[in-house]
Amino acid sequence: MKTEIEKITILPGVNKFGEKEKFGKIDVKKGEIVAIVGPTGAGKSQFLYDIEKLAQGDSKSKRTILVNDKTADKELRFDPKRKLIASLAQSMNFLTDTSVKNFLTLHLKARGKKFDSGLIEEVIKEANEITGEPIFSETNLLNLSGGQSRALMISDVANISTSPIILIDEIENAGINKEKAMQILLEEGKIVLIVTHDPVLAFNTDKRIVIKNGGIVKILKTTLKEKGIGHYFNWLGNYGLDIREKIRNGEMIEKVKLFCEPIK
Amino acid sequence: MKLVIFAGTPGSGKTSVVKYVIQELKADFKLFFAKFDCLKTEDDEFIAERYAIPTIKKLAGELCPDHYTALEIPKIIKENRDKDIILLETAGLCLRCSPYIKEGLGINVLDVISGNPDRYGPILTEADIVAISKGDLISQAEREIFRTNVLKVNPEAKLAEVNGLTGEGVIDIVEFIKAFPEIKTEKLTLKHSMPSAICGYCYGNKIIDESAVRQRYLAGKELKNLVPNLNCGKCGFKSCNEFIRAVLDKKAKKNQCPFIKNK
Repeated sequence: MKTEIEKITILPGVNKFGEKEKFGKIDVKKGEIVAIVGPTGAGKSQFLYDIEKLAQGDSKSKRTILVNDKTADKELRFDPKRKLIASLAQSMNFLTDTSVKNFLTLHLKARGKKFDSGLIEEVIKEANEITGEPIFSETNLLNLSGGQSRALMISDVANISTSPIILIDEIENAGINKEKAMQILLEEGKIVLIVTHDPVLAFNTDKRIVIKNGGIVKILKTTLKEKGIGHYFNWLGNYGLDIREKIRNGEMIEKVKLFCEPIK
Repeated sequence: MKLVIFAGTPGSGKTSVVKYVIQELKADFKLFFAKFDCLKTEDDEFIAERYAIPTIKKLAGELCPDHYTALEIPKIIKENRDKDIILLETAGLCLRCSPYIKEGLGINVLDVISGNPDRYGPILTEADIVAISKGDLISQAEREIFRTNVLKVNPEAKLAEVNGLTGEGVIDIVEFIKAFPEIKTEKLTLKHSMPSAICGYCYGNKIIDESAVRQRYLAGKELKNLVPNLNCGKCGFKSCNEFIRAVLDKKAKKNQCPFIKNK
């Protein structure tokens, strides 16, 4: 039987120097976004490893991860066929030479699911909500632009991948609507972890976990003000995308909007 | 003592993975690293310098590098009885041989952009652990398809997704190594037989011609029956086969081999 993950809880372990982490517990529920921040080498990989392996005080950090408030089943911890975390990294590309539709069918098959034309259309439709340039089912994967590829990867992870946790690692440079992308992942009931220092993504979260010297040193709850600032940067980014499209179409641009529309 | 064999095609990220594995293990275990290659390698020197552990370079030269590895394993073990873990990196040229042994842990470092796993032989199908590298270059979907395809040809494999640049995922491999049993027997066994390599070309024939291959083979076989097949090195060559080739190429005298001389 498959255990549905409603919530994970992180209980404190120790940092690089063996000192106990100073927090009670961190709850992350289905549909929540958490940013992970901190300098390079701070212990981000160990933190993700603890979650991926549902550590029981047996990893280097001595952290404990609970699933739905309970110790995780053995079956959930050690099944090699299953991965808890699906990830999206910055330098990712599609390498398969086939149409979008065929590729999604292939992915469905790899997940042991049957061909489902409705689901495939849904994946493409949602990808098109994330990117400005339309993706068609017959388009070859290798001909997709960076933004289109990324949009399709996000929509695919949200809809086809069965991993309940999505890790997004520094995704800022892509030509996509980041707020919309997050919204799609959350609607599909995923837990989203973002390693980022981009204001749009870092402020579009519920909280930020700050890691230093192998230990969690702070948990910041994202404030309303920060969310507003994140929204402003998102608007700026999308406005930039509009202008890119205009440049692509050979238009002249001599005037810009200076203020963003309020949050809807 | 434990023996861990890393195999994988050149450029798959073997050495990078080995590097991070050594970094994670060296504080708690006495390590030894052996690097096998065909003609040239500096990986052993690099590892010795950076991690301050003893290493050895093993160049196969005229021999099949995987057969050579299998021949050398007992010697390496004998000389390193005081170590906790011997890490061995193969030349990684042949998908068919990759000398994994039953008593040791076999790790295949498999590049995710190297194509469909079903065309790989024992290097993948006989591995205990498949370390999938370079996953950060392709989409999550393609990675999931790749994992499924790996498990199709090696359903028993434990999978680890590793990043050779940052060391992410290597921690999985380290845990597998820690959990793996020590070598308890003197007699080691290959997991699978290696393909036969017995023809005139194995004795150094270069002429593409049936009768030339046969002639060379017969001449080689005659010498093969005379030499001790111990690769003792007393003739000045690394192996008996290399010596036989040199004799047939008239670059060495038959009685350079003390066993032939004393007969």
